[in-house]
Amino acid sequence: MSVRHFKLVLLGDTAVGKSCLVVRFVRDEFFEFQEPTIGAAFLTQSVQLDSSVVKFEIWDTAGQERYRSLAPMYYRGASAAIVVFDLSNKDSYNGAKSWVKELMRRGDPNVVIALAGNKADLPPSQRKVETEEAAAYAEENNILYLETSAKNASNVKNLFVEIAKKLPTATAQQERNDTFTIAPAKTEKKNCC
Amino acid sequence: MASMLATTSPDMEPEDGRVVNQEAITKIREAWIFKQLSQRQSEFTNFSSINLLCCTWNVNAKKLDFDTPNLMSSWLFPPANGDVLPDIVAVGFQEIVDLNAVNVAVDSKAKQRSELWQEQIHKTLNTKTSYTLVSEVHLVGMLLCVYVKNTHIAKVSNVHSATVGVGVMGVMGNKGGVSVRMQFYDSSVCFVCSHFAAHRENVAGRNADFASILNKTSFEIGKEAVQEAVRAGSVSQWASGSSAVGLKDHDFVFWLGDLNYRIDETLSTDEVFVKSNNMEIETLRAHDQLNIERFNNNVFEGFEEGVLKFAPTYKYQPNTDLYECRPDKKLRAPAWCDRVLWHSQNPAHVQQKNYLRSELNISDHKPVMATFNTQVKNIIAAKRQEVYAEVMRTLDKFENQSLPKVDLNKIDVNFGELYYENKASESILVTNSGKVVAHFRLVPKLEDEGLCKDWISVSPTFGMLIPGESMTINFSINLDNKTAQQLNQGRESLDDIIILRLENGRDHYLTVSGTYARSCFGMSLRDLVVIGEPVRDLPLEPKARAEFEKKHPPASLSVPKELWRIVDAINEKGLHEKDLFLTPGFAAEVKQIRECLDTSSDFGLFHVHSMCEALVSFLSSLSEPLVPSSLFPTLEIDQQNIMPWSRRFLEVLPPIHYNCFVYIISFLREVLLFSNSNGLTAQKLARVCSNCMIQSDGGGKNDRSRSMALIFLHFLTTNSI
Ligand SMILES: Nc1nc2c(ncn2[C@@H]2O[C@H](COP(=O)(O)OP(=O)(O)OP(=O)(O)O)[C@@H](O)[C@H]2O)c(=O)[nH]1
Ligand SMILES: [Mg+2]
Repeated sequence: MSVRHFKLVLLGDTAVGKSCLVVRFVRDEFFEFQEPTIGAAFLTQSVQLDSSVVKFEIWDTAGQERYRSLAPMYYRGASAAIVVFDLSNKDSYNGAKSWVKELMRRGDPNVVIALAGNKADLPPSQRKVETEEAAAYAEENNILYLETSAKNASNVKNLFVEIAKKLPTATAQQERNDTFTIAPAKTEKKNCC
Repeated sequence: MASMLATTSPDMEPEDGRVVNQEAITKIREAWIFKQLSQRQSEFTNFSSINLLCCTWNVNAKKLDFDTPNLMSSWLFPPANGDVLPDIVAVGFQEIVDLNAVNVAVDSKAKQRSELWQEQIHKTLNTKTSYTLVSEVHLVGMLLCVYVKNTHIAKVSNVHSATVGVGVMGVMGNKGGVSVRMQFYDSSVCFVCSHFAAHRENVAGRNADFASILNKTSFEIGKEAVQEAVRAGSVSQWASGSSAVGLKDHDFVFWLGDLNYRIDETLSTDEVFVKSNNMEIETLRAHDQLNIERFNNNVFEGFEEGVLKFAPTYKYQPNTDLYECRPDKKLRAPAWCDRVLWHSQNPAHVQQKNYLRSELNISDHKPVMATFNTQVKNIIAAKRQEVYAEVMRTLDKFENQSLPKVDLNKIDVNFGELYYENKASESILVTNSGKVVAHFRLVPKLEDEGLCKDWISVSPTFGMLIPGESMTINFSINLDNKTAQQLNQGRESLDDIIILRLENGRDHYLTVSGTYARSCFGMSLRDLVVIGEPVRDLPLEPKARAEFEKKHPPASLSVPKELWRIVDAINEKGLHEKDLFLTPGFAAEVKQIRECLDTSSDFGLFHVHSMCEALVSFLSSLSEPLVPSSLFPTLEIDQQNIMPWSRRFLEVLPPIHYNCFVYIISFLREVLLFSNSNGLTAQKLARVCSNCMIQSDGGGKNDRSRSMALIFLHFLTTNSI
């Protein structure tokens, strides 16, 4: 019943549903009128695997363009990242790809990335990104891909579980803990990038 | 004694003086989760009723006459226990061999005897139904054999045994305890067979033997099995991370053996003999050392024992049913040396059915048997998962609710239109809307050093709020000349994001913004001479500015229209005003003049001193000074070299600057024509020039700027322009 703690960050353009996904995951609720996040919201939530528990310390970031430059404050030191896009918005898909690229370049080298195509509940006529395309991109980059809906809850919990499964096991983490703190101090400043 | 919460990482002591140990917090938290799960055990556990038989016998190195039928059977299956066949049988012996020096040191005899007893027990048990030996462990004279009915054998796992010697020198095996533990279905069961220190007066020795066996017995069952036990709700002391369990980390512990407690000395040896023979059990019980010590919590804390209803089991004359009192033997008052006790995480889950002795008489002790009915756990994994998830959700919910929370009455501080040298302030009200004390502070962005841009000042930058409490954060801005220059050049914009961080909580972004109303102040002469339109109309943002410039072809003024307008206005007012340029103007008028310059509107009414001040401050505000310091003379100026230096100066002055310089000097020479009424001198005006045409880097006037002043004076006094 050991609990492993991991910092997880949500990234993606504005209005793709990052906060809705977190609210669905943490409180099992959905608000049609979720306000844009101005800042970075922090919540914790655990997921149960077969023989252990993974506790996520979740940072839900602001997707609006003007706050983009602040994102590294949150993905720095994160063990996992969910990059979200809106399946009915091609721009947000392109945005997600650039988030993935940025994470790979500047994030933790072992960061577990999941690409989430959200709003899967919308009718097919509104879909702008095909499953095959996003899945192929994810495979190419060796990251997870899931289509989710914060609105009807589909695949939301699964998204977090899939990430939890890919995170280092207790022993591997123990070794890491000898040199790292579990949740990097939020004020920590690094001199390099 | 208190057991300490063990952590591998040391406490951290951050500067605020609090001590934090994340590992300890995690452990305590997991202990809580464990407790929640155990409290809800029934929701995910089916219990089955399991019968146990525990036997103990100090055989005094004797063997039964195994050829006589039914002797073993009468011990293991006494008629009093009825037809119920136990599911688990634990048989413990003491003194299977003599406790002499050889046997203590060499195992061969004990091993041989152990095998003999095993064989006999196995045979006897299997006359009823099939049993399998799960584990055998012996140490010198102590032997413990645990059998399980074959029908359950698949449900037995993680079987481990341990031995602890507490005899000679505190470690030898003449006294001590041997134990076997196993997981049976989802319960953990442990049996201990022990032999404590002898002699009537040595109560303390026996208590100490118990304590050291309890402390020293440890089963290295592996991390996985420990986790399993924790998940099954079997480990009382939370032991995550450890790979070993102790005796009490089991659902059930059955402790049997020759514990050697006697009848206390308040009853004389004779009395004990009499009462034992007369079966005055109740009186004897009251004087039983183990009962007394347990009552005083000196030993077997948390253990239970059935009520003794049989006669003391020691010390018999072998092969008789008589207490040993032959004159040639040491006289021992009869006693209940041989006992069975138990410990259960959930007391309701063990019920003793019988507590008996057998009358087999080969030894100086009688065997003792106890039968139990226990409730053994059978966990429904899927249901446990559900309960566990629920517990975690509750915990997450509380943890999320106990995160600090503040409300901000606004997150945008918009100052609207801002002017040159504008000062303004605004505030945000921060209210603690959460349930816990909130500590907030403003933090720099990423690699930034400061909290915000230079033109903003914020206070306070940190604070603490108790729930419901509010605090105002003030933002003031000051658009000084330096900021204006940067704004004019499109290198700065009037917006910034300030991060308000709640310790252990979220970040809020506060936006500070405004729109700068461009002014000719703080611009460069180069820029000014190409603008025919009011400077206000020229967009600040580089892209928009480029657009604008595309639509409005550049003017090519010889001097900025603003400079021309000021000089013209002063001229119009007349140059005979006393102390022109030396008397300060009116601030409001200067401001109004600046606004009129920026918007190309009429000046209206003003005092000439205000206009003169506008001229001086306009020139001093230029982003590149009229006379760049690089052009200052490099040598000391004297009467000999002043002419060539002055000429050279004019030659190197950039064309626009040259125009303006000549324009201003000519105007000032004009002013000097009225020195009779305005009282000005060339020296005074040279000082004015120094004040507004050059910007001395590093404050104090250096030699080179003094030389420059001489050149100004030269131009003002000669007709060199
Ligand atoms: N149909 C549908 N709408 C969704 C779903 N998830 C979010 N939305 C809608 O999208 C809007 C924006 O969602 P948010 O969660 O606020 O988006 P965000 O990514 O957090 O945006 P920022 O905080 O600005 O970065 C919400 O108001 C929802 O109505 C979904 O799964 N299906
Ligand atoms: Mg959001």
